[in-house]
Amino acid sequence: MLNLMTLLAAFDNLTPMNWEAIKPALNFLWQGLLAIFVVIGLIIITVKLTAFVIAKCTEAKKRREEAAQSAESEESNS
Amino acid sequence: MDFLLQGFQALTWQQVAMWIIGGILIYLAIKKDMEPALLLPMGFGAILVNLPLSPVIGDPANGEHLGIITSLFQVGIEASEAMPLLLFIGIGCMIDFGPLLTNPKLFILGGAAQLGIFVTIILAAMIGFPLNDAASIGIIGAADGPTAILVAMQLASKYLGPIMVVAYSYMALVPIVQPAVIKMCTTKKERLIRMKYSAKQVPQLMRILFPIIVTIISGLIAPDSLSLVGMLMFGNLLRECGVLKSLSETAQTTFSNIITLLLGITIAFQMQAEAFLSLETIIIMLLGLFAFVFDTIGGVMCAKLINLFSKEKINPMLGAAGISAFPMASRVVAKMGTKEDPSNHLLMHAVGANVSGQIASAIVGGLIIGILGPFCGL
Repeated sequence: MLNLMTLLAAFDNLTPMNWEAIKPALNFLWQGLLAIFVVIGLIIITVKLTAFVIAKCTEAKKRREEAAQSAESEESNS
Repeated sequence: MDFLLQGFQALTWQQVAMWIIGGILIYLAIKKDMEPALLLPMGFGAILVNLPLSPVIGDPANGEHLGIITSLFQVGIEASEAMPLLLFIGIGCMIDFGPLLTNPKLFILGGAAQLGIFVTIILAAMIGFPLNDAASIGIIGAADGPTAILVAMQLASKYLGPIMVVAYSYMALVPIVQPAVIKMCTTKKERLIRMKYSAKQVPQLMRILFPIIVTIISGLIAPDSLSLVGMLMFGNLLRECGVLKSLSETAQTTFSNIITLLLGITIAFQMQAEAFLSLETIIIMLLGLFAFVFDTIGGVMCAKLINLFSKEKINPMLGAAGISAFPMASRVVAKMGTKEDPSNHLLMHAVGANVSGQIASAIVGGLIIGILGPFCGL
């Protein structure tokens, strides 16, 4: 039968208010949060850079095509 | 006639209690439509493995006769964490990162919404859980079943069963937990903030490069997250490459369904009464809830912080969508947005934050393994 003593016995392997364990846990808090934001920051920067390069390349390609087209039409006109 | 009574004689009250828990999970799956694909197999599995002399478990200590569920657990989860990792391929295939790529700023919300994980690790350590268990409990806040399984397995937590059950159950409770927390942290004026959505086309090259970029960056900074992030991004590459439509469709449907089906029933291995029924399980449930609440608070507060420095204001509710529960969290935020103002459509922004949470939670899982592994002697 489950009684209060059984419930309390389940706590045996837990040490209430384990302040010693908090120090490393606090270390993980800042290390983990810093690391996740560094990864995210790098991903954002890389994505923005890649998007910028792709946009520039597409623009340049478009310009080249337009220039080729106008050159062709000039040739046919002359 | 004794052989007819063997089962009854071996029955314990703990096993009956597990049948009731199994029944509740089945009820929630069928009647309340809460993550039925997982809760139903888990619920039935809880009954199945808690029948006395159950041959689906066999005698793992002896090793001579292993039941089907024990074998599935040992091969699919214990040996290589294959099942949760393979499920990530399917998830990656289902995710459209377009809304995130249109507004990469939303990525920050995905990171901030992982705050609850770390705060819960501290609280669990304070209560007295060893660090490996505390971290495995904290990762429930990732709102991501496969990540929770992987971290708990890698850190050799003895609470794998309760962690898995709590992680999957709380994912289903997102629509109940989050609205209350969001309302608590935001004012009506903030919830009414409108955001422009420019439905500009993301070039296919960008969509193809994105999974590769994320894999390389997370692999370099958080190598332990590679198995999760790599599988997620591999799935996404299948989707975006445009030449593997049939593979992508299979991964999204048949493949994901098979893994989900097997994963649900296999998780039940950890729901054997003697390991599951303890006060620690109840504490883990409370800590899991705490992690979810603090994740939501972290995301909302980060959005508010960004608003202090940004010209274009973000609706702080989007921060709550930064958790990994996809697509529930984004649906909850979009629904709350339209409830406050029927003409305020936040869905696409919320999806952007939500998919960033999916990536962030996988990375955080790897980071925790990497940071804590040496402390836990792994």
